[in-house]
Amino acid sequence: MPATFVFSESNLVGEVITDDIANVNFGSVDEVEIVTATNPVIAGENSFSKYIRAKFTGDFTEISNMKFWKSSGALKTGEAIKAAANVVFATPSAVDTGDSDVPTDEGTALDIKSAEGADTIENGGSGVSGYSGYIRLQLQSTVEIPAGAVNQKEFTFQYDEV
Amino acid sequence: MNSIINQNLGGEQFNVNLAFTWKARFKTGEEISQFDNGKENKFKLIQDRFSELSYFYLISKDLSQCFCIDLNRGLIFFGNHQVVSEDFLKEKKENIRLIYFRRHQIKMTLNNTTKSHRIQYFLGLQWNNSKKNNHKSILQIDELGNWILGV
Repeated sequence: MPATFVFSESNLVGEVITDDIANVNFGSVDEVEIVTATNPVIAGENSFSKYIRAKFTGDFTEISNMKFWKSSGALKTGEAIKAAANVVFATPSAVDTGDSDVPTDEGTALDIKSAEGADTIENGGSGVSGYSGYIRLQLQSTVEIPAGAVNQKEFTFQYDEV
Repeated sequence: MNSIINQNLGGEQFNVNLAFTWKARFKTGEEISQFDNGKENKFKLIQDRFSELSYFYLISKDLSQCFCIDLNRGLIFFGNHQVVSEDFLKEKKENIRLIYFRRHQIKMTLNNTTKSHRIQYFLGLQWNNSKKNNHKSILQIDELGNWILGV
């Protein structure tokens, strides 16, 4: 059986961890599974940063070569998505994260380490949590962004398993 | 080769989530399957005994496809057919090692974290030639059994 994979998100002061999240909607509040209709990002502002991780459980031996990139979805004028990998969790906010544009192909994808900073997640290894490192995401906008919903984006998380 | 493959096609218990599962045969004749009486064996059992490995099979859930790595001779088989060139066969290989892993791609949209989950199987071998240069040949197999060989 393949390793069981879920996305996990961390929020709030002191870090509240929610495993197996349903979505990673960007919005104007530090919440998991944000309802964008009631928490939209105002033009010219940033979304609250998102701290997501992969979590692996099950009877795998080793997870390695974890990568993350935006695989499709055009940005609108005045819209940017920033991303960084293996960062330290901090209480999410709308302050500019200072991160780079999210990579858009496998060749330039973010290399994701384990939560413990290793290249692999070894099942049953001493001190191994099964989590990847944090991926920090933020939608940033300028006043030029058109009103209304942004285009749908697709992100890819890739890993090798034995 | 044919008899070995046929012998190894019987009695498997496949997990519904994987299109292909593995089976290993060691030089002693001992075999370990990924699934055995409802229990899954970790690949670590194979990793720990790489030097003792003779054959490594990847077998489709419906038993219609079987890929085999012959680690004694450094050959790759699809069913009864070798999937390597004549030049490949002529080359003297030393320090032959198995390559096997599953590559997962999880594509998600912002409002749906599990849009799709695709698994590809990478199976092959690497070796050193007489000049000690390292070479690899790897099959990339999708969940439908379509495959390509990279050398």
